[in-house]
Amino acid sequence: MTTETASVPAPQEPEDTTQKPQPPKEAKSPRALAWTRRRHSAARFWREYRTHRAGLFGLAALVLIALAAVFAPLLVGADAQSVTEAPGEAMQSPSGEFPLGTDQFGRDLLALLVWGARISLTVGLLAAFLSVAIGTVVGITAGHFRGWYATVIMRVTDWFLVMPTLVLAIALASVMDRSIWTIVLAIGVTTWPTTARLVRAQTLAVESRPYIERAQALGGGHGHIMARHVLPNVMPLVLAQTTLVISSAILTEATLAFLGLGDPTVVSWGGLLQDAREAGAVSAGDWWYLAPPGIAIAVVALAFTLCGRAVESVLNPRLGVSR
Amino acid sequence: MDTQDQHGRTRSSSAAPEGETGQPRRAHNTPRARRRSRPLLLAAAAAAAFTLTAGLATPLNPAPQQAEARPAQAKDDGKKTLTVAVAQSVDSLSPFIAQRLLSTSIHRLTYEYLTNYDAKDNRAIPAFATKWEPSADKLTWTYTIRSNSKWSDGKKATAADAAWTFNKIMSKEGTATSNSNFVTNFKKVTAPSPTKLVIELKKPQSTMAALDVPIVPKHVWEKVDDISKFNNDKDFPVVGNGPFILSDFKVDQYVKLKANKNFWRGAPKFDELVFKTYKDQDAAVAALKKGEVSFVAGQPALTPAQANGLKGESDIKVNNGPGRRFFAIATNPGARTQDGKKFGDGHPALLDKRVRQALFLSVDRKTIVDKVFQGNAVEGAGYIPPRFSEYTWKPSAGQELTYDPKRAARLLDEAGYKKKGGKRVGKDGKPLDFRILCHATDPNDKAVGKYLKEWWGDLGIGLKVNCLDDVSVPWYAGEYDLAFDGWSVNPDPDFVLGIHTCAALPEKAKESAATDNFICDKKYDELYEKQLAEYDPAKRAEIVKQMQSWLYDSGYMNVLAYPNAVEAYRTDQIKSLTTMPSAAGNIYGQDGYWSWWSAVPASGKSSSDGGSSTGVIIGIAVAAVVLAGGGVLIALRRRSTAEDRE
Repeated sequence: MTTETASVPAPQEPEDTTQKPQPPKEAKSPRALAWTRRRHSAARFWREYRTHRAGLFGLAALVLIALAAVFAPLLVGADAQSVTEAPGEAMQSPSGEFPLGTDQFGRDLLALLVWGARISLTVGLLAAFLSVAIGTVVGITAGHFRGWYATVIMRVTDWFLVMPTLVLAIALASVMDRSIWTIVLAIGVTTWPTTARLVRAQTLAVESRPYIERAQALGGGHGHIMARHVLPNVMPLVLAQTTLVISSAILTEATLAFLGLGDPTVVSWGGLLQDAREAGAVSAGDWWYLAPPGIAIAVVALAFTLCGRAVESVLNPRLGVSR
Repeated sequence: MDTQDQHGRTRSSSAAPEGETGQPRRAHNTPRARRRSRPLLLAAAAAAAFTLTAGLATPLNPAPQQAEARPAQAKDDGKKTLTVAVAQSVDSLSPFIAQRLLSTSIHRLTYEYLTNYDAKDNRAIPAFATKWEPSADKLTWTYTIRSNSKWSDGKKATAADAAWTFNKIMSKEGTATSNSNFVTNFKKVTAPSPTKLVIELKKPQSTMAALDVPIVPKHVWEKVDDISKFNNDKDFPVVGNGPFILSDFKVDQYVKLKANKNFWRGAPKFDELVFKTYKDQDAAVAALKKGEVSFVAGQPALTPAQANGLKGESDIKVNNGPGRRFFAIATNPGARTQDGKKFGDGHPALLDKRVRQALFLSVDRKTIVDKVFQGNAVEGAGYIPPRFSEYTWKPSAGQELTYDPKRAARLLDEAGYKKKGGKRVGKDGKPLDFRILCHATDPNDKAVGKYLKEWWGDLGIGLKVNCLDDVSVPWYAGEYDLAFDGWSVNPDPDFVLGIHTCAALPEKAKESAATDNFICDKKYDELYEKQLAEYDPAKRAEIVKQMQSWLYDSGYMNVLAYPNAVEAYRTDQIKSLTTMPSAAGNIYGQDGYWSWWSAVPASGKSSSDGGSSTGVIIGIAVAAVVLAGGGVLIALRRRSTAEDRE
């Protein structure tokens, strides 16, 4: 568990992000200079990232799956989800025409798998962003304001932290409408506490620096300090956290869909597993229906984790030095 | 009565949550943790391999089980037990309250009714009453009660018990939830002698030989303080006089019945009958393959894939009989109370008959039977399933609403819902969007929902499939536009017809009531009264058909199909049992107690080994890989934070 006093060196020097005017070397505007600096740091980031083989593998897998999802209508046809225009017979085993067989409506399972990537990725990304956004806001404000506000908000965070995520998500998903937004919301509002705690610890570390005091002395308000000084410094942490939350959000989405809490009219990987179970594919032994969605979920979750770990070790100088 | 089934409103609850997801617990890796990650990965791979093999021994895998004793066969004490896997849960064990098929089936087995139905032809035959005859004006009915029926505590069962039961229901102190339709015309019920029961009627009533009311022992139930809240699940064994005696019950786990050795028709051949709850039909099928249960109830029916999978097994027989149920789409006609107060939020467009008919015209029932039920159903027409041949009705060629999207589009145009840019728009400029209530636990609802969405989408109508575990809340509140609906029908159709009368409407808004779908129509009510008063079977059937014709035209109840009862049992545990009707009928949820009373245990050890299925193993292995993958991810991260704890 991260303790609140864990001091993590700031990933970036304050000079990198503050708006302090640079000494004019040439006739370049501050804006142009900032952009050059950003380009350089992006290039540096990529150079570092390239050295992580697992990270590259994860990235390649993600790009491949994302492309398949984006171009699904071109790859497998826009009407692959249609039950009334299903091309095959019910529950056909794999053949040349249907490489992964068909479902109980006679739809091509390979096509459904590609379409399912859309929902699984969308929900995973949105839920992770929601979760990290809530966590960041809570963490920064709790670290900045301290006092009774921090006490109250951190107890709320603790309460969410000890609540079993899945149970809470199931409860939320079952009282609201069945739609992907419900799932996004259910995952988002149940998984933020870890991010909040991390961000708060980092905020405390950043705020203890002298330049924050300087900014305050120069008249910087709460909003200015949080947005201009603290946020840029916790951003790397938040980024790494996001990539890691995505994989667990995708797993949770699949779990909820498998438990029948997803929108029954859209195709997702968890939903495919649920359909397979309802059609009796488990007792009938139709492995081609069960295996592909399961493997797809595992691969995507793994890819995001590999990326996340690589990003983290690039952005965290302590990890970088050790290599 | 055995009417409300799986599909009705009171159905609730579902899949228990399982599985887990990891919480990302992030910390900053120390260099030490980082260097460790390679051996960790190896360890994780080993863990995955272990989980994979462990997965092969899950209860889903039917292969390694020869050594196991068959619990449903003969146990050490030689007791013969018949175990039935059911998906439904018990709503109440009180005959005054129970409405679900499982509960009412248990009452059939544990209490006697005045009459029973012949397994061959659904004819009313003697049960608790040996003889019944009306007076000349048909307003006084005299039943002769048998003298050889005893309660399980030794007391004699008499006409006084029957009279007390009927009077209790008539008192309506919350005691008429399940059987009110039978006593609406009752004036007075008396028991002049232990073997004579007299029922006086206000108006003639045609259901007098089909009073599906469990008779309870007066001397036990008199002592109950508040019958309207008593669920009859406190003292076991429960005193009864049916072929079985209710001996134990655990909510959502099992209901145990033991054979009544003194039953007047003869003791059942099995010593014990257990209804075991399996919320997941696939788990029930796996249990059947393993021999843990003797019978899987076809409620909901086994899916075609399950049935085909079981057909290949030795010692398992799949029974595919015509169903007692209809599967329909109900249309909210504007929910209201008995005194006409409107409530709920049904779509106003559905008040137009043309819109309702257009919806039905654009549903291809043949495709639903072929694709969703894969032939294990009969295409829907009238309200009463064809199995009840004397009452079933089919629309004439001119009246029939066959699949005709063009005609549907014309009807919608006429009704003022023109197509604008792919969407039907009403005069008020609002697009035509409906919601349909679906049972989250019924795969058929969801499957048909997918088809409806596409058919109606082509027509320019939006549809939102709203699947809930418990549909009863929005249903009673009238907060739906359309809903998947279904009832099991008795040989006497009075009950399923009665739920569409004005009298069945709720007294207060959002209260539970006997009404199915808030239908209230004068013409229909008149016909209902007429059929109830008609003693001539042929004439009564004619009126019942007119009622169905009205329902069909109204578009309130669109019957899509009559699903078959697809069920399976182990022939090495059950040698034989009676289906109803005895030629090609169903087994679970019969109108009488024939199936379980007549079931004969198979003798001798079985030689089957359940048969292993590679597919299942692969499926499980894949599931294990997925779980292990998730576990590895979490373990990796947990581990890294553990390093930070120091």
